[in-house]
Amino acid sequence: MECDRASALLHPLIDGELGFLGRQRLLRHVARCGGCAGRLSELQALQTALRTKLQYHRAPPALAARIGAAIARESPSLAPARRRLFGRGSGVPAGFGLAGGLVGAAAGVALTLLVTGAPIRPESDMVSAVLDSHVRSLLPNHLTDVVTSDRHTVKPWLSSRVDVSPPVRDLAEEGFPLVGGRVDYVDGHQVGVVVYRHDRHIINLLAWSSPGKADEGLKTQSRQGFNLITWRKGGVTFWAVSDLEIGELRKFALAIAAAG
Amino acid sequence: MNEPQGRPAVQDDRRRRFELLALPHLDAAYNLARWLAGNSADAEDVLQDAYLRAFRYFDAFRGGSDIRVWLLSIVRNTFLSWVKENRSNRLVFIPDDRGADATEPAETMWGETPRDPEALMLQSADAGMLNRLVEDLPTEYREVLLLREVEEMSYRDISAVVGVPIGTVMSRLARSRAMLRHRWHTQSAKEASHGV
Repeated sequence: MECDRASALLHPLIDGELGFLGRQRLLRHVARCGGCAGRLSELQALQTALRTKLQYHRAPPALAARIGAAIARESPSLAPARRRLFGRGSGVPAGFGLAGGLVGAAAGVALTLLVTGAPIRPESDMVSAVLDSHVRSLLPNHLTDVVTSDRHTVKPWLSSRVDVSPPVRDLAEEGFPLVGGRVDYVDGHQVGVVVYRHDRHIINLLAWSSPGKADEGLKTQSRQGFNLITWRKGGVTFWAVSDLEIGELRKFALAIAAAG
Repeated sequence: MNEPQGRPAVQDDRRRRFELLALPHLDAAYNLARWLAGNSADAEDVLQDAYLRAFRYFDAFRGGSDIRVWLLSIVRNTFLSWVKENRSNRLVFIPDDRGADATEPAETMWGETPRDPEALMLQSADAGMLNRLVEDLPTEYREVLLLREVEEMSYRDISAVVGVPIGTVMSRLARSRAMLRHRWHTQSAKEASHGV
């Protein structure tokens, strides 16, 4: 391979866009070519610097309300009629989602989808419940009950509150630092959640006991712009959910599954 | 269940479905708008406008496709027409492969002599300077860089948001990295010579 060609391919390489064979060929060239190896390490350094140092501008809290109001003006509504849905055993205690405007909107509409959507299979119902937990966690001040990157704090905190705690690992080296933990309600049960991060993407890892059920390998799906991976091991069901790209989320799930 | 079956109930469902799908991506949409517009007041106006547009055209959104990609493309297009209608004192789109500093290596992309020790320096790059350098990139280069490095989108999704072929995404990305690298070296040298 010539250096011109190799240089152009370094970008798709660091962007995870090369297929297996293309990657092997390029890496063989890089191993033998000091120039390309230098370019690669510089590109990777730039990518790391951008991913860790570019400012992420979060939407100001008032903006969601402002947009919600603008949309409401466009669409005459019967909003209060839906409130009763909170009583339908959907896993969210009555009133849970009504604390703030956005919280109410997000949790409320999630439940509406469960009720008004096409016939619900138990599987997709669970996907919705897990996704609800993830979406709620992204709302201001809902992410963690205990904020720490120290697993020796998160683990006992969760163990004292739920039967099964998701694995609390130190995966910072692999690019998934620990953010904290919380207890959430999913499908009517208290569930332990451990929160990890990859760059700016939040990953929620949920686990609960499923006694007597057989082990299952990683299953992947996408819903509403989020990726979800579930697996079962030793009578415990795991869910990882994030807006992280699926390849990276798979790496995370594999690291957790291997360790757990 | 004695709700009227007419328009309001249908509207209500539509709105809730929209909010369920679109609100969770508010941060990603805002971040893009903020980086495109360059200040928060304009970003908020752009975003409100974009969400209203998205709501109006929500029926055109196909359930199976990626809501984030769809929303971000609307944010981007809203920003562009907003620039056309309102103000153009911020320099916006320039023709592809032009407009960069003439002293910058153009088609060589990353083809210049590698400076290995500087890979290390980049890692400790000053965050403020890096942010300013990205802000100063021409919009069409800044947006692909943000979608890739901050939103971590695939080339395919970026191509859908920006509305250009994947090959163009690749070349813009390579170009924006080359520009950043060049300007970073220039800036670092300048600050070093001023004893900063």
